[in-house]
Amino acid sequence: MRKSLLMSSAVTSFVLMLAVFNAGAGPLDSPGAQKSLVCSACHGVAGNAPGNTVPILAAMAPSYFKKAINDYAAGRRPSPEMEPYSKYVMQFGLDDIADYFAVQRKQAPAKIKSDPKALSRGATLASQCAACHGAQGEGDAFRVVPALRGQPAGYLKAQMDLFKGDKRKLDAAEQDKIKKTMFKGLGAADFADLAAYYSR
Amino acid sequence: MKILTRRTFLRVSGLGAALLGAGRLPSFAAEARRRVIVIGGGWGGATAAKYVRLTDPSIEVTLLEPSKEFISCPFSNLVLAGVESLKNLTMNYNGLRKHGVKIRHEAAAAIEPDKRRVRVGKDSLEYDRLIVSPGIDFQWELVEGLAQAKDTVLHAWKAGPQTVQLAKQLQSLPDGGVVVMTVPPVAYRCPPGPYERASMIAWYLQTKKPKSKLIVLDANKDIVSKTGLFKAIFKDYANLDYRPSQKVEKIDVGAKEVTTEPGDKVKYDVINLIPPQRAGAIAVEADLVGGDKRWCEVDHVTYESVKQKNIHVIGDATIGLPVPKSGNVANAMGKICATAVVSLLNGKAPPVIAPGNTCYSWVNDKEAIAVVNAYKIENGKVVQIEQKLTPGKSVAVAQNSLVWRASIWNDVLG
Repeated sequence: MRKSLLMSSAVTSFVLMLAVFNAGAGPLDSPGAQKSLVCSACHGVAGNAPGNTVPILAAMAPSYFKKAINDYAAGRRPSPEMEPYSKYVMQFGLDDIADYFAVQRKQAPAKIKSDPKALSRGATLASQCAACHGAQGEGDAFRVVPALRGQPAGYLKAQMDLFKGDKRKLDAAEQDKIKKTMFKGLGAADFADLAAYYSR
Repeated sequence: MKILTRRTFLRVSGLGAALLGAGRLPSFAAEARRRVIVIGGGWGGATAAKYVRLTDPSIEVTLLEPSKEFISCPFSNLVLAGVESLKNLTMNYNGLRKHGVKIRHEAAAAIEPDKRRVRVGKDSLEYDRLIVSPGIDFQWELVEGLAQAKDTVLHAWKAGPQTVQLAKQLQSLPDGGVVVMTVPPVAYRCPPGPYERASMIAWYLQTKKPKSKLIVLDANKDIVSKTGLFKAIFKDYANLDYRPSQKVEKIDVGAKEVTTEPGDKVKYDVINLIPPQRAGAIAVEADLVGGDKRWCEVDHVTYESVKQKNIHVIGDATIGLPVPKSGNVANAMGKICATAVVSLLNGKAPPVIAPGNTCYSWVNDKEAIAVVNAYKIENGKVVQIEQKLTPGKSVAVAQNSLVWRASIWNDVLG
């Protein structure tokens, strides 16, 4: 699977190179860019969402992008906005769009003022997340675990609230159980600290 | 010797279409600047101008927009209730200039489809493709007495000075005074807009003028959009008197009275009369409108007018697609149309892409509701795949709307 991910992004890079060769072609002259045109209203041009509660899609692992869309479409992740839009993007198949966002250069999320103590508390709490989400919150594309680092704080916090309220579940029952236990001990202040830490 | 332009060469050679189909001709690069003109710098036009440049920077784009400011209609109902300022909804066009869009702050005087020209002042600007995004104009003549009184009877349906004036009129209303607002028959700009406005005015009156009331005279048989949600919200406002099937036929400014189609006479202290609407005047004058003389029918994939070749129409001025006349749809149409125009200019097949719609309505100073629509293209026509409404009003939805507006304004103008 790792190989196929590498392959698909290599193919995308090649396609993008071809697009660049076509004199006059702009950054949107690729199938994935065209199929995701409507997304930029909320997720920004090239997936760099400017809003604090909207996830940044630029440089997102294609495996996770596809999982997220499938989860929204199946109602596994509640969102009045994304339930219809997930079905919208599914009409095109997800490969081109996932590959397009994966190769976009990620910009830092909108800066939210946070107190240095919040960051250090967040770093301490984050040790619990590292086993799955990676030491730096970089995620694991192979295991379809999302990167947390560099996502906007408001988005991260909203997802933690959904997990805590059991409105968003993990696929494997066993993992979901572990998640429930982990989230039981955490409150709104912890979520804010974690969100500040990962969004930095 | 007259220099042969690329277009002249293509026309003379009679091979225009075939050669365009073969892609660009580098030897003509200096002469071959393809020109796109965009009329109207609202949600649709500004987006289209930006996205033509983003998609193919070799295309010259000129945007014709008389106003130096972009004022967002979405969120302007909040200004009426004093929970938002017009300043926060006002932006400039500098972002588009950074993308290389040439902006002339002048109105297009006329379109000459046969000559592929737009007249602006004393100039005639040539185009290869024209994108018309004129928004709406009002049919003053459909309400007796309105044409004469139109400067004093506020619509506030194009955000700007009238929005501020109407807010001031509401502020000056004595407690116990009656506000009347009228909803035009479909189709009109922003289907849920009148009901959002009714909610915001009712909230304002309830808070600041508890003895006052709001009478809503709706030309339609029922609430046009987010019907169930607005019905529930209207129930919470004891000061809101909603009357369906009450098309306003006449206004008497002296008597401060409107007359509706069934013959009811309703007195007001403050009137907000939202007139019946049609596509912006330039679209009507250029014969882009259909038999109804109101709206423009377009191809659902390219937005090219069904009546005029090489002219595309986007935004509120269009009809026939099962989409609302909303800012979000105009933004989506702007992007899709831009991509189609670039494809056509480069001799490629345009991508087959439908719009989407995200639409928030505020119902008091903190809470909002939303509807989201997804569409696809089936047999060349836009059809709806899914519609999702929020279960009820909430602070979270209102907060999402603030994030949405920052993002989409950036998509339109940034």
